[in-house]
Amino acid sequence: MTCAELEILLCDYVDGTLRGEEKSALESHLSGCPACKQLAEDVVGVTAFFERVPQAEPPAELLTRILHQAPMGPGAVAERLPSDPSRSWTKRLFGGLFQSWLQPRYVMGMAMTILSFSMLARFAHIEPRQLRPADLDPVKVWQGIDDHSHRIYDRAMKYYDNLRLVIEIQSRLREWTDQDPSQSAATQGVQTNAQPAASERGSQQ
Amino acid sequence: MATVAIPAAKWSWESPYTQVRTSNSLDADVQLVERCLSGQEAAWEDLVKVHTRRVYSICYRFTNSDPEAQDLTQDVFLRVFKNLRSFRAGEGLFVVWLTRLTRNLLIDHYRRTRMERATESIEDQVTALEENTAAIARTDGMVAGREASELLQAALQKLSPELRETVILRDLEELEYREIAQILNVPEGTVKSRLNRGRAELAKVLRRQKIRI
Repeated sequence: MTCAELEILLCDYVDGTLRGEEKSALESHLSGCPACKQLAEDVVGVTAFFERVPQAEPPAELLTRILHQAPMGPGAVAERLPSDPSRSWTKRLFGGLFQSWLQPRYVMGMAMTILSFSMLARFAHIEPRQLRPADLDPVKVWQGIDDHSHRIYDRAMKYYDNLRLVIEIQSRLREWTDQDPSQSAATQGVQTNAQPAASERGSQQ
Repeated sequence: MATVAIPAAKWSWESPYTQVRTSNSLDADVQLVERCLSGQEAAWEDLVKVHTRRVYSICYRFTNSDPEAQDLTQDVFLRVFKNLRSFRAGEGLFVVWLTRLTRNLLIDHYRRTRMERATESIEDQVTALEENTAAIARTDGMVAGREASELLQAALQKLSPELRETVILRDLEELEYREIAQILNVPEGTVKSRLNRGRAELAKVLRRQKIRI
């Protein structure tokens, strides 16, 4: 037996399906050929290693995702395949060419891209109607963003100062309203004390 | 006369896959497909439930990525969903048809993502290697379970796609040589030759990482 012949029979030998003369010929070749013996040991070793490896289990939600993606059974879908000649040409065009573009993930991605660009343009003071290739110059875009960010910072600082002033006025007013009842109570106390004194004076007269 | 000690549990006279896949299960597949084609929603659910694990497992072992394997499994079933009418029960087993479809999708994916893999961060590879080495140090080279699975995953990625798919289909999915030959569209002799080479390369990779095989 040659090394090439052994290579073909080795799988069957490892499976245990090799019998009779072929098996004894293979074993006698193994005893005289260190390279083939090494190969056989490697193959047997790896197959034994596979025994220690657990099966890869899919996550439970995968089944739900697949059934959600294709929920009605192929019988239902087969009727709506693009190759169906009974469908009108518009349905075939939109169902075939644009089907992948009309998937929710593509539509969502496209919407997010447009939104991002519009926000960026607004932030950089680029008017979509006057948009020219020169407006997309990175330097110009950067200057626009820088300028706008400074303005926002100034506005924020002004707002903060105004807010501080308002809070200060409010707290001052609160202090005054807190003080007022005590003052009025004091004045009332003075008045009530003054009245008995006046009545006492009247009785003495 | 030199003989190689062969583990008896798995490598019995009859392939375990033949033992598991009885004629009843084959009939069940064909019946499920027929019921699906007649528009029964429950049959489609059963078909997906029965075969999701196999498809996911092949995809996961091949790509070494759970999210990619999940996406590919979804794509496979979407393709099954659309092409089930092209399956002919007389021309072969449903499992072979399904696995061929999965394999074609995996090869497409492999070609598409070749550039991304080439630019994969070296840092990630170094981290994975360190983690593997730490795992082996803890177990004194005799790894099993999840660690064995992770090490096998890393080792499988070192193989060429031809050798990798052959090893996965035979050693993990336990398909017959004849079925693998049908799936890969190559002669049985080529399947056996690739299997030997793939197993030998795996042994070298595992031994290099000080794993006892």
